[in-house]
Amino acid sequence: MREDYPIALHGVSLSIGGVEGPRPGYLQKLKSLAARVDPFLITDHLCFTGTHASNTHDLLPLPYTEDAIATVSRNVAIAQDVLGRQIALENVSSYLSYRESAMTEWEFLIAVARRSGCRILLDVNNAYVSAINHRFSPETYVDAVPRDLVAQLHLGGYTDAGKFLFDTHSRAPTGPVWELYRRVIRRMPDKPVLIEWDEEVPEWSGLEAQAVRAAEIQREERERQPA
Amino acid sequence: MADPELVASVTGGGRLTAAEAVDVYRGGYPARLTGALGETYETCWRVLGDDGFFAAARGFIARFPSRSHDLSDYGAAFPEFLESLPVAKDAPYLGDLARFAWTFKELFHAKPHAGLEPALLAAQARPEAVLRLGGAVRLLCLRHRVYSLFRRDEKDETPVQEAEWKGEQRLILYKKEGNPIFVRELTAPEHAALTALAAGLPLADALAAAEGLDEAGARELFAFVSAAGLVTHIE
Repeated sequence: MREDYPIALHGVSLSIGGVEGPRPGYLQKLKSLAARVDPFLITDHLCFTGTHASNTHDLLPLPYTEDAIATVSRNVAIAQDVLGRQIALENVSSYLSYRESAMTEWEFLIAVARRSGCRILLDVNNAYVSAINHRFSPETYVDAVPRDLVAQLHLGGYTDAGKFLFDTHSRAPTGPVWELYRRVIRRMPDKPVLIEWDEEVPEWSGLEAQAVRAAEIQREERERQPA
Repeated sequence: MADPELVASVTGGGRLTAAEAVDVYRGGYPARLTGALGETYETCWRVLGDDGFFAAARGFIARFPSRSHDLSDYGAAFPEFLESLPVAKDAPYLGDLARFAWTFKELFHAKPHAGLEPALLAAQARPEAVLRLGGAVRLLCLRHRVYSLFRRDEKDETPVQEAEWKGEQRLILYKKEGNPIFVRELTAPEHAALTALAAGLPLADALAAAEGLDEAGARELFAFVSAAGLVTHIE
């Protein structure tokens, strides 16, 4: 596959927000894998997944505080030092927020990228899910993210769980997410885009149709750009 | 129940209360670990049924937190845990079935090795030589004959008969470069010889350790070792 396609390594276990730092050995394994695959990008999530003694295997949200920015920045420095390259961190969907948070989610995301020297994997679906769950404007969120910090875009589908939106990757992106995506693409039409669909995966044609639609929106917005 | 201090420190998303929001994450944890156990121990799940398997998984997850970053590493102690349950009185083979499943999973994720060419192996396999087995080889000595249960068709709902599992079973699991997993039943002497080889004994000592292995048996075993590409280098 690598001979024919560029590949991004996308992890879920770096736990970049963990106060203990990355798990011993994890970064070395990732480095070995990267040496084998030669990915164009290495990404993980802006979250923590537990402690070294107990892993929840979940993308747990961080409080949006200066302390958390410092913790993540320290861990990004460790990760980038071991890997010998820049990484990108993805905004996660969340179902709770911390009372101690002192800034918005996008202010936190941008501050982490600027201070740590990593880039942003902007998941448009996650931005929408968190915006609806936490009652802020998804447009304000994505408009605030500087184009030069973004390394890749993700799209996925959520499930309406009744009381909240749940990021399940089990269906196609919804209409509002496509609209938000178009808004993002208008500002950054050349970013690589990935469709995430890893639960209740459809026939290839169903998945491919989402990728075709994403590419079509990119093409339309590129053509609208002033020469 | 969620930690009250944690609940007090958060607000729920959407129309969730803080406690409900914490429970979204709390509920995800056992679900993910149960899923991981279910993937590795699918055959045990079939034997126990949904209720039995989920109850076993609940008990196991409550006692054993996941420490690895890799979800597929979870559940190494599940075979012993199953043996400690009352259900093991009716199905004493469950622990061995789980042991086989864990070994199979380990081998599935193991890096394939390149075995020595048969001609090279034959030329260098002197009595004092130490034959090093590759990383994609596992030996098992089980108290119950569970391989056929592991291979049972998932649609086969006939009760497991005692005749199917009674008696010991020795197995070797291996994979060749780029190929699926192979399983071969071993005699007791064959298992003893291969275990000795795996422990680093010279060839002559390994064969001597295999009580009851005659010359013909030794030749047959060597032919298998050679054809299966089990040896990666010779010292």
